[in-house]
Amino acid sequence: MRGAATLFLTLYLLHTLVAEVNSTLSGFHVWLFAGGLFVTYSALAMPFRQGFAASLLGGLLCDAVSPVAFGTHAVLFGAAHAVVFNLRERLQRDETLVRVVVALLVNIALFLALALMRVKPAHLGAGAWPRLLSDLAWSEAVVALVAPWFFALQLRSLELARAKPWRLA
Amino acid sequence: MRIGRSQRFDQARPFVALGIAVAAWFAAPTAFKAAVRASFFEMTAPVAAAASYANDLQRFWALRLHSKDELIEAGRDMARLNASYTLSVQQNGELESEIARLQALLKMPPIEGFHFEHSRVVRRDFSSWWQRMVIRKGSDYGIPVGAPVVYSGGVVGRVAEVHAYTSVVQLTSDPGLRIAAVVDGDTRPISYQGGDNQVFGAPRGIIEFVPLDVYASATVPKRLATSGLGGVYPPGLTIGRITHVESSADGLFKTGEVELDPRISELTEVTVLVRDNPG
Repeated sequence: MRGAATLFLTLYLLHTLVAEVNSTLSGFHVWLFAGGLFVTYSALAMPFRQGFAASLLGGLLCDAVSPVAFGTHAVLFGAAHAVVFNLRERLQRDETLVRVVVALLVNIALFLALALMRVKPAHLGAGAWPRLLSDLAWSEAVVALVAPWFFALQLRSLELARAKPWRLA
Repeated sequence: MRIGRSQRFDQARPFVALGIAVAAWFAAPTAFKAAVRASFFEMTAPVAAAASYANDLQRFWALRLHSKDELIEAGRDMARLNASYTLSVQQNGELESEIARLQALLKMPPIEGFHFEHSRVVRRDFSSWWQRMVIRKGSDYGIPVGAPVVYSGGVVGRVAEVHAYTSVVQLTSDPGLRIAAVVDGDTRPISYQGGDNQVFGAPRGIIEFVPLDVYASATVPKRLATSGLGGVYPPGLTIGRITHVESSADGLFKTGEVELDPRISELTEVTVLVRDNPG
C-alpha cells in the first residue's frame, strides 16, 4: 500500500493549499472546491485497491474539516472513483488532456452532489444558487490550471516512493 | 459464458468494493468514527497553525519596514486611546460596584462573568454551505464548545468544535447559526439567522418574527444586538444593521435583511468569552 500512502500525502498537500487559498479569498466570498483532483489520478492510473484507498482517505480528510456527516466526502469520492475506474479502459488515460477533462467532469459531479446534499440542512434558499454556480465556475478554472501540475506531482511522488504502477513505467 | 461472467464481475468489482466500504462504515461504532474524525482533524492542524505563524512573521517584518515617523505617530495615537480607555476603566469599576450594591440590596443572583481569551485566526472557510474559521486556541486554553466569540465590531459567532490546540468558530454569517436578537431600543426578541453570502458582496443575515411596528431601511438602518436570551451571548453585542423589513406571508410579523460588518470576513484576531462559572 505504499502507492496509496504516497498518493494520500499528495492529497494532503493539495488539501492544505486549497484551504490556504480559500482562507485568502474569504474576503471576496469565493470558495474553491477541488474534489475532482482527489479522485482522478488514483482512478485512472493506479491499481484499484491502492487508488480506492487513497480516494477514501482523501475524502475522510475533507470530512474532518467540514461540518458534514463524517463520511460524506469519502462516500462521494469512493463512488466517483468506482465510476471513473470502470470507464478508464475506454479512455486515453495516459493523455494529460484526457485526465484534465475527467478531473473537470468529476469536479462538477462532486460539487453538485454535495450542493444537493447540503442545500436543505444548511437552510439555503434559491438565492444560494448564484453563489454556488459562481463557486463552481471558479473551481473549474482553478482545477483546469492546477491539474497538469498536480498529476505530474503525483507521478513524481510515486516514482520517488518506488510505487509507480507498471503501466506508466 | 464463463468469460462473460468474469468480465461482468470485473466491471462490478469497484461498486462491490464501494458497497462493502459503505456497509462497513455504517456498521462502525460512533465512537470509532469520532476518533477517526478527530485524528484526521488533528493531522491538518499543525500545518494550518504553521501557516498562521508564518503569516504573523510576515506581518511582523512588514511592520518593521515602517518609518520612525509613522511609529511616533502611531505611539501618539495609542497614548490618546490609552488615556480614554483608562478613564473608561475607572467609570466601569464604579458602575460595577454600583451594580453589586444594587444586587445585594435586591438580593438578585449575580450577573454571569466572563474572562477573555484572545486568539489569532488560523484559517477561514467561507463556502455557500458553511462559514467557519479556525482559531489558535483549543482545549489547552479551556475553550468550551458553545462559547461566544466577539471582536471590536460585535459578535463573530460561537465555538462549534474544540480540538487540542485549535477551535472551530461558526460565524454569524453561517446559514446554520441562529441567535435570539433585539432591535436597538426595543426589548422584544426576534430571530436572527445567517443568510446567503453572495460573491464580492457583504456578509448578510435574515431576521424573522419582527414586530409589525419596527421599521428600517438602507437609508435609515437599525442596529441589531444580542438579546441575552438562550444563555449563549451576553446582551447588547452588535450583530449587524437591519437594512430592510417587510411583512411576512402570514401578516403576523415582519421578516428582514441584516447587513453584517464586512470586517468579519477578514478578521485576524478574535476574543472568546469563557464563563467564569460554567454550568
